[in-house]
Amino acid sequence: METVSVLPEIETEPVAMKLMSGSEALMRALLAENVDTIFGYPGGAIMPVYDALYDFQDQINHILVRHEQGAGHAAQGYARMQGRAGVCLVTSGPGATNLVTAIADALIDSTPLVCIVGQVGKKLLGTDAFQEADVMGVTMPITKWNYQITSADEVPEVMAKAFYIAQSGRPGPVLIDITKSAQLELMTRPFTYERCQSIISYRPRLVPKPDQVEAAAKLINEAKRPYILAGHGVQLAKAEEELKAFAEKTGIPVATTLLGQSTISTDHPLYVGWLGMHGNYGSNVLTDQADVIIAIGMRFDDRVTGDASKFIKQAKVIHIEIDPAEIDKIIKAHAPVVGDAKEVLNALMPLVDPNDHTVWRNEFRKYDTIENEKITVPSLSGASEKIQMGEVIDLLSKKTNGEAVLVTDVGQHQMMASRYYQFRRPNSLVTSGGMGTMGFALPAAFGAQVGAPDRQVVAIIGDGCFQMTLQELGTIVQNKQPVKAIILNNNFLGMVRQWQQLFHQRRYSFVELQNPDFITIARGFGMDGHTCSDRAALSDSLDQMLAHEGPYLLEVIVEKEENVFPMVPAGASVSQIRLE
Amino acid sequence: MTTYTICVFTSNTIGLLNRITIIFTRRRINIESLTVSETERMGVSRFTIVIKHESREEVEKLVRQIRKIVEVLAVFGYLNDEIVYNEIALFKVATPLGAKPLDVETVNKQHKAWVVYWGLDYVVIEKTGSEQEIFAFFEYLRQQHEILEFVRSGRVAVGKTEKGLVEYLPEAEWAYYMA
Repeated sequence: METVSVLPEIETEPVAMKLMSGSEALMRALLAENVDTIFGYPGGAIMPVYDALYDFQDQINHILVRHEQGAGHAAQGYARMQGRAGVCLVTSGPGATNLVTAIADALIDSTPLVCIVGQVGKKLLGTDAFQEADVMGVTMPITKWNYQITSADEVPEVMAKAFYIAQSGRPGPVLIDITKSAQLELMTRPFTYERCQSIISYRPRLVPKPDQVEAAAKLINEAKRPYILAGHGVQLAKAEEELKAFAEKTGIPVATTLLGQSTISTDHPLYVGWLGMHGNYGSNVLTDQADVIIAIGMRFDDRVTGDASKFIKQAKVIHIEIDPAEIDKIIKAHAPVVGDAKEVLNALMPLVDPNDHTVWRNEFRKYDTIENEKITVPSLSGASEKIQMGEVIDLLSKKTNGEAVLVTDVGQHQMMASRYYQFRRPNSLVTSGGMGTMGFALPAAFGAQVGAPDRQVVAIIGDGCFQMTLQELGTIVQNKQPVKAIILNNNFLGMVRQWQQLFHQRRYSFVELQNPDFITIARGFGMDGHTCSDRAALSDSLDQMLAHEGPYLLEVIVEKEENVFPMVPAGASVSQIRLE
Repeated sequence: MTTYTICVFTSNTIGLLNRITIIFTRRRINIESLTVSETERMGVSRFTIVIKHESREEVEKLVRQIRKIVEVLAVFGYLNDEIVYNEIALFKVATPLGAKPLDVETVNKQHKAWVVYWGLDYVVIEKTGSEQEIFAFFEYLRQQHEILEFVRSGRVAVGKTEKGLVEYLPEAEWAYYMA
């Protein structure tokens, strides 16, 4: 038998001249973009990249999730905390399709993501190869941009574009599908990386046109009952200070959207509540009384407008928005201002007159009194047999001084969290607004904690939602992230049950759950926790959770059939809001 | 229903056709015709998309959604009277022995159509014009002959404004295409 001697390879070329594989180029591209954390899950068609990653472990913290959807939501939580793109790395076929929900969620909630997805080799494309899925086709409608890399040489330029597109203008998810052959092959030229600064066909306007700003300022200065509706765009532009200064100078009351919450402190005298189906009473109905609406970085979602044909018909609308496609999409703007919220507010500031609008602002307080009497006080009174959801959030809010990052799932608990948490710090609510993705909270809370290690992150989760992504408890434990999770357990898919009660004559169709023992499950993953079903023990339970060093799961057994009010029934106008 | 012609200028990349058409299908807007070709600028494609719609406002929203695509350089929505437009049609007409001879003079002079291929027992006639002109010619042929095949292209159109493409795609950024 012939013996083949294998001599150790000696590097004779200087490193800079060495030709790099597509996989290594990808790693170097991530480093050039200052990426230090990625969320991922390996598999066949992404293995060369994982092999390259092995050599970069000290520079890039790869977090192994338990399901690709978890990687996506974790990257979203991370991105929202960091204000820059979250990065996911998954394999082809099912790896990529499992990521789809998170990508769609990130698109509608304008969250920057760069999703790197393996693909079968170039020669196998279109042959129905093992784990081949048309991921480009699947993700085209739900990405801001997607691109298939089929040669190693493309890597630096395409990755630079990916990060630029994801993070600039209105942020959103970008997907890069990279064939296994491109991961393996060597580049034909030395690796160089230039961060993308502009793309000829993509030029988001940040600085507004002066005539648009002047027209808006004129409307604001003439207004008798102006009203600011602040959305997620304010936070994305990091314009919280500018919003506050603008509102204080002009004396204009400020409401936020669901995703706009925490952009202004809830104890600020100009804050009047949040908008939407389950938002506050006054903030919703007084949209009908305003003469000028100043909508900043929001898109008039149907959960905000109710019947859009009846929404703010009496008002002149100033729409400040970075995405021109949002202008006039739902609500006609009399004075559109296209630009970044921060830039626009800075441009408006010197043009607006100081004012205070006390009489108008006091209108909101009248409604607050009614809401307080009819809803808030009874919800927090502790008069019911079992704990009510609002009580948990109210206590948590007090114990954390309103300074925690709240990560909520989707349903009644989400609305209750928004209603009763008193946000004191900017960028403190991470929730799935547009997509309404159940299962979002646990992985997103994990990602948020990784992205904001100095902050207290608390996930508020329903018993239904928890069971959609509970495997990520494993990720939390393995990575020793001190995420606190509260399950508000009513043994129901509560929001659906509420609709069935109110609009379907209590025909409870498949909304009751036979739940597992959540605490045993958590312990099985190595996470501590306990159940609280007694009101007298609630305060201590929250203290115990917050004082715990590592991750902790608190299950609170709440009233089974509690409803969230106020409520604007779907399709009704905002004036038809129900208090009971 | 009003006819709108939407002209989209894009950089020439794989998959872009899909990205554009899903904007229509998602809103349940049927595409009446679609033509794509590279423009006189290297790497720039031109899509000419014809749709029918009741609401101008909705068409404007559609145009803004198309503009949002990263690779799209410019989008214009036109009414018929704002453009010069044409289509091309080919007719394969049977001319077996003993059949009525083709009246080439009428075809040429009245319908401005031309025989572009003579087969053994058929001819291929090319006709350019508006949809109405093409169907008028179709009716004429159908009454005289057997039409074996008929195919009509999508619309191509240029705007009637005095502006050229150069206003939107500066020469400094795009080289001219040389065949």
